[in-house]
Amino acid sequence: MECEVERDFEREYGKLQQLEEQTKRLQKDMKKSTDADLAMSKSAVKISLDLLSNPLCEQDQDFLNMVTALDTAMKRMDAFNQEKVNQIQKTVIEPLKKFGSVFPSLNMAVKRREQALQDYRRLQAKVEKYEEKEKTGPVLAKLHQAREELRPVRDDFEAKNKQLLDEMPRFYNSRLDYFQPSFESLIRAQVVYYSEMHKIFGDLTQQLDQPGHPDEQREQENEAKLSELRALSIVADD
Amino acid sequence: TTLQSLQIKSLCRTPSDLPWLLCSLQLPQGDLDVLFSNIDDIVKVNSRFLHGLQETASREEDQVQLIGNLFLEFQEELEQVYKVYCASYDQALLLVDTYRKEPELQREIQGIIEAVVPQAGSSGLSFLLVIPLQRITKYPLLLQKILENTLPDASAYPVLQRATHALQDVNANINEYKRRKEVASKYTKVEQLTLRERLARINTHTLSKKTTRLSQLLKQEAGLVPRTEDKEFDDLEERFHWVSLCVKETKNNVAAYLDNLEAFLHFRPQECDLDVGGGPVVQYCSLTRDLQLQAFPEFKRRLEGLVWQPLCSLAKTLAGPQNLIKKRLDKLLDFERVEEKLLEVGSVSYEEEVARHTYQALNSMLVAELPQFNQLAMQWLRQILCTFVALQRDLAKQVLQRAEGSLAQLPHHHIPELAFRKLVEDALGQTSHQLHSFQKNFEKVLPPPTIQPLLPGAERQVQALLSRYGPGKLYQVTSNISGAGTLDLTLPRGQVVALLQNKDTKGNSSRWLVDTGGHRGYVPAGKLELYRVVPRDKELRGQAGPHEDSRHLTPEPTPVPVSSVPTMTQVVAVYPFLARSSHEVSLQAGQPVTVLEAQDKKGNPEWSLVEVDGQRGYVPSSFLARAPSPAPWGWSLPS
Repeated sequence: MECEVERDFEREYGKLQQLEEQTKRLQKDMKKSTDADLAMSKSAVKISLDLLSNPLCEQDQDFLNMVTALDTAMKRMDAFNQEKVNQIQKTVIEPLKKFGSVFPSLNMAVKRREQALQDYRRLQAKVEKYEEKEKTGPVLAKLHQAREELRPVRDDFEAKNKQLLDEMPRFYNSRLDYFQPSFESLIRAQVVYYSEMHKIFGDLTQQLDQPGHPDEQREQENEAKLSELRALSIVADD
Repeated sequence: TTLQSLQIKSLCRTPSDLPWLLCSLQLPQGDLDVLFSNIDDIVKVNSRFLHGLQETASREEDQVQLIGNLFLEFQEELEQVYKVYCASYDQALLLVDTYRKEPELQREIQGIIEAVVPQAGSSGLSFLLVIPLQRITKYPLLLQKILENTLPDASAYPVLQRATHALQDVNANINEYKRRKEVASKYTKVEQLTLRERLARINTHTLSKKTTRLSQLLKQEAGLVPRTEDKEFDDLEERFHWVSLCVKETKNNVAAYLDNLEAFLHFRPQECDLDVGGGPVVQYCSLTRDLQLQAFPEFKRRLEGLVWQPLCSLAKTLAGPQNLIKKRLDKLLDFERVEEKLLEVGSVSYEEEVARHTYQALNSMLVAELPQFNQLAMQWLRQILCTFVALQRDLAKQVLQRAEGSLAQLPHHHIPELAFRKLVEDALGQTSHQLHSFQKNFEKVLPPPTIQPLLPGAERQVQALLSRYGPGKLYQVTSNISGAGTLDLTLPRGQVVALLQNKDTKGNSSRWLVDTGGHRGYVPAGKLELYRVVPRDKELRGQAGPHEDSRHLTPEPTPVPVSSVPTMTQVVAVYPFLARSSHEVSLQAGQPVTVLEAQDKKGNPEWSLVEVDGQRGYVPSSFLARAPSPAPWGWSLPS
């Protein structure tokens, strides 16, 4: 009977150990991913910022117009990105942290149960040892004493075991209630961001008078420009 | 006019054989490019030109005029197409020389030439290659001849004259272009020299050149010598400098962007497994997985091909002009020295003449081409930036397309964003409370019991103490106490007592006054531990054994009026006891005793009258235990 109880316990605790690991990993990856996302956005802003600070802007009105429009777009996108990351921080990363913070208490409780189990087993063995011996007076006395010692320890173990067997599945199942809102929020935050991105860059593309060339055409244009430059004698033949 | 027709006929001979040669020669493509340059383009232009000439043949009167017009029409194209060929002609000749050094290759080439172009005879490759050159230089000469044979008052004369000048210009331009290319190729190459190689290059000549330049520069800096101010050039150079800065910074920034993009794609939170069957978690994981498989890699690829690569190419083209500008400055210093010398001395050496000309060539080349360069570079940069923007828009579009499906399946997709955010906040607040309670529960999982096993028969005593003093005052003995003085108690391990005072009359706080329920006395405080009252039912369960036995062992129908402990039962001493008076008897642990009376003369159940080893006396009742089963000890048991 004890083995079955142990198996049940191991199974339930095992699931929670897995969940703990996955939660930790998710938290770490999510944080790193959002950090890289922020860095990307910042480096996009830098492109237009550096262009804006180039003296050519003072000389060339067309260039200035283009760079200003680009800069405005990049800055707006960065603001939206920051908002997205804030939302993710609030509704995904923080909750993950909170969820993870329950595990240390759980692990401590499991350790205490383990300790109680060890004590129980030890005292149980002692009782069994005396039970097998010839029933002399001293043996009886020792047996009685051993049983008295065993009783509260067994009760304690059973109490701990029951408590954990009750609480662990409940905690494990709570993940459903817990994670679903976070991830729904995550998807929505991204959709909001990319909608803005589509609008802002779509408008900018139109403003900059750039028709929707297919990639091959763009490649050809690049080749053409390179050839034009190379045709100049001051450009080194490569 | 016969002369004219002669000239015209010679005009019509076009070198169209060379392309055939191209295909036949088994040479590497790079070599063929060098040898034959843009011969295809020349052939194209020439064939059209020839066609035009042939058409004029039918119009006898106007022929000369038409020819003139034709030349003027083709002037630009001829210049463009021949200048490239002429500029690379020298390199082609070099290559032909290297072939000559390999006799077998040379024979092969010769064989092919004779097969494909029989009229070339036994002449070599170089003969064939020079033909286009000869052609273009011949045009102005031919035209000149025709002009000489035309009457000045003929209607065709002015046109012809213009055509002649035009072709002369073409040749002049071609020469100029060739010269510039030569100068440029000498100085535009960014040479990757090792330090050793650089040191090896230093000789007295170069040293003197450099020191002369340096001294010239210093003189200028010190104001001793006027610096040649060339505002036009300076402006151009400044603009070029800004254009370079633009290109380089943009290239670096795009590089940083690509690095960050790669880092972003490196982390995959969607790979976590939370053991959730469906819902937003699964939606998110599949959405992110799909995006990372397709939309983002495509974005990255397009960025690299359509933004990064072009920026790299553009940045590379900066090197040429940069070098030339540097060289120009060097040559300018030389030039100024030479000018000074010219003023002082009146004449200069050949080398100094060359230096002068080099500077002038560099200068005019830069002045002519830098504006073009700047403009082209900026146009290209603008193009690249527009592409960057378009790629971002395309990425957003792709993401949205894919996300639409996931969004529609979310439980709250119909709720607007602000309302949804409030909803999530509330939900998370609730679950946060729930988590907190889980945490508290886990922390509460009972710590180890401090309770010691209760001595048999003692629960009544404990209850008595409990009701008299309350649970907070009860303590349990942790190890056997042997009292020394008259006021000290002797107590076994496990006995429960009630605390009366936590110090003795002298104020010693390690000696406590306690009540056992029958006796009062002092015990060492270190051997006492706060006693936690165990709930009744457990106690009962725990005591089930002995109770069962007691039921078993008390068959008497009439209940014993005083105690529930049956007389004449088999009992065992659980702990050793040292008799302190003649009323008491000593016990050894495990010794079987016979209980004669379970109370003393005063009726105190704490003491029992027992017989052991033939001796009778009182022992503490709590030191005794009932035998758990009616063991066959050979003692008579009540029937």
